[in-house]
Amino acid sequence: MNKKQVKNKRHVYWNPYFGGFLLGILIIFTFYITGRGIGASGAMKSGVVTIVDAVAPTHAENNAYYSQFITKGESPMNNWLVFETIGVLIGAFLSGALTGRLKLKVQHSPKITSRRRLVFALIGGLLFGLGAQIARGCTSGAALSGMAVLSTGGFITMLSIFGTGFIVAYFFRKNWI
Amino acid sequence: MGPLIPNGIIPAEWNYILAILIGFAFGYILEASGFSSSRKLVGVFYGYDFAVLKVFFTAAVVSVIGLYYMDYLSLVDITRLYVQPTYLVAAIIGGAIMGVGFLAGGFCPGTSLTAVAIGKIDGMVYTLGLMIGILIFSEFFGFLEPLFDASNLGHITLVDTLGISPYWIIFAFTLIALISFLFSDWVRSKVKKVFY
Amino acid sequence: MSKSYQFKRFLTRRYQILAAILFLLAAGLLLLPKYEKHEGISPEELLSNSISPERYITTDVLADRIINQDPSYLLIDIRPEEEFKEYTLPNAINIPLKKIMDEESIPYLNQTQYDVVLFSNDHFYADQAWIMCNRLGYKNMHVLKGGLNNWFHTIINPAKPGEDMPATAFELYSTRKAASMFFGVAYPEEVKQIVVKKVIPKKVITIKKKKKMPVEGGC
Repeated sequence: MNKKQVKNKRHVYWNPYFGGFLLGILIIFTFYITGRGIGASGAMKSGVVTIVDAVAPTHAENNAYYSQFITKGESPMNNWLVFETIGVLIGAFLSGALTGRLKLKVQHSPKITSRRRLVFALIGGLLFGLGAQIARGCTSGAALSGMAVLSTGGFITMLSIFGTGFIVAYFFRKNWI
Repeated sequence: MGPLIPNGIIPAEWNYILAILIGFAFGYILEASGFSSSRKLVGVFYGYDFAVLKVFFTAAVVSVIGLYYMDYLSLVDITRLYVQPTYLVAAIIGGAIMGVGFLAGGFCPGTSLTAVAIGKIDGMVYTLGLMIGILIFSEFFGFLEPLFDASNLGHITLVDTLGISPYWIIFAFTLIALISFLFSDWVRSKVKKVFY
Repeated sequence: MSKSYQFKRFLTRRYQILAAILFLLAAGLLLLPKYEKHEGISPEELLSNSISPERYITTDVLADRIINQDPSYLLIDIRPEEEFKEYTLPNAINIPLKKIMDEESIPYLNQTQYDVVLFSNDHFYADQAWIMCNRLGYKNMHVLKGGLNNWFHTIINPAKPGEDMPATAFELYSTRKAASMFFGVAYPEEVKQIVVKKVIPKKVITIKKKKKMPVEGGC
């Protein structure tokens, strides 16, 4: 009875090697069919550009960065990555639903409050968004797909992310452990 | 002969449908491997859960070996695949900022989407933070532009940079991956268990 | 205690096998013999294709097709541009021999819509062009036998057969003479009749260019 309770409380995830193997096959498949890798932060960028364009069109045109992505007559959401992101949301939802992980909550270490967790999530997102635009990629797009074709930029970005992560992990330890 | 859509073997209208299907599989695999949980993701930095390392390395090794085998059998033309441009300074500095963001927020954009999908509020806040970050970047683009465009080395691969045949690089990469798997299991047995 | 120990051992054995498989795959990629990838047909096939005279098309057949406005052929002049501008066959496209591998010539050569007829002054250059196109596996390539020199001798300026030639030679002569009139040669003895110069309509060649999509990507 005791063991069963513990088993229900702990999440049963796939074996990471199996997940990695399937992900590798998916990347091969993606490259074979479309010639490009997957990505994640590009869809966020399209979303931001669309919102800014809708709210303040003249400002968007004047700004050197937005204007690269705005073409007359075509929404910037008409992007491969946006469709892929929609697929990611559906897929993750299905996986969570099938294994009973759907729950509206804030996941945090028991040693900190949930408010602190949310504040740090916001700061983390801000920094990551900034960094992803500078480096032109995030872990899935640059690192994963970059490594699959042995691109130098992908390797450098990945090493930089995880290297800095290991260095600053000490300062954030109270949040996680 | 791949890649199929750029060579016209599959009509280009399928591109977006395939994007949704590929994203579906991607989201499913990520969530089922547990990447929707931020505490599992940062485990690699503290030594209590190495799922990120295992999934990442396995995916990279499998995909690079698979692609090069397919190139050997003339099923795919490796030179036609997209290799992203290398901006040296931007990659290092952007990567550093991303590293700090990763540790603070506990997510990366792809995994934050899976967290949003299963209802994690911190995932939604993180995604919101991403968009605000992109907004800040675009507003200050004038200042950041020289950093953004600095040192463009072009669409180079490791083969061009290191000058070694790609098969040696893949072999060395596989060895590093296998050794790091062993190392991660050893570290995990030494670190205090964390329940999450 | 023993059960978990056995379980642990089994786990490591399984992973050892998987790790060994991965290692062997990577090593195999390294050790496999790398061969030069040939684009095109093998040398033996090229030899057998070049020996057979199937590719030649005679001037009579070609004149016949032009007069009947056969839309399924494409004439390509292999000579340099100056000679092309001086005189050429109607509706011929000029691709000088040295430009035959260019990007812009490929849609004319590498397609299955039209029958391509290569010609030059004699058929030597056209033959060389044919060999190269055949090597790359292009289909429907033909060579005008004798080239433009033969064209002059047979169509534009047909040789009048002697008295002791068989009747077929006379028939051939008359068809060639009619063809030459079609192509604009005026004969003094028939100048009384108003020769309606048939205007050969400019053929619009629509070649579907196989555009290679640029690969996009990024995060």
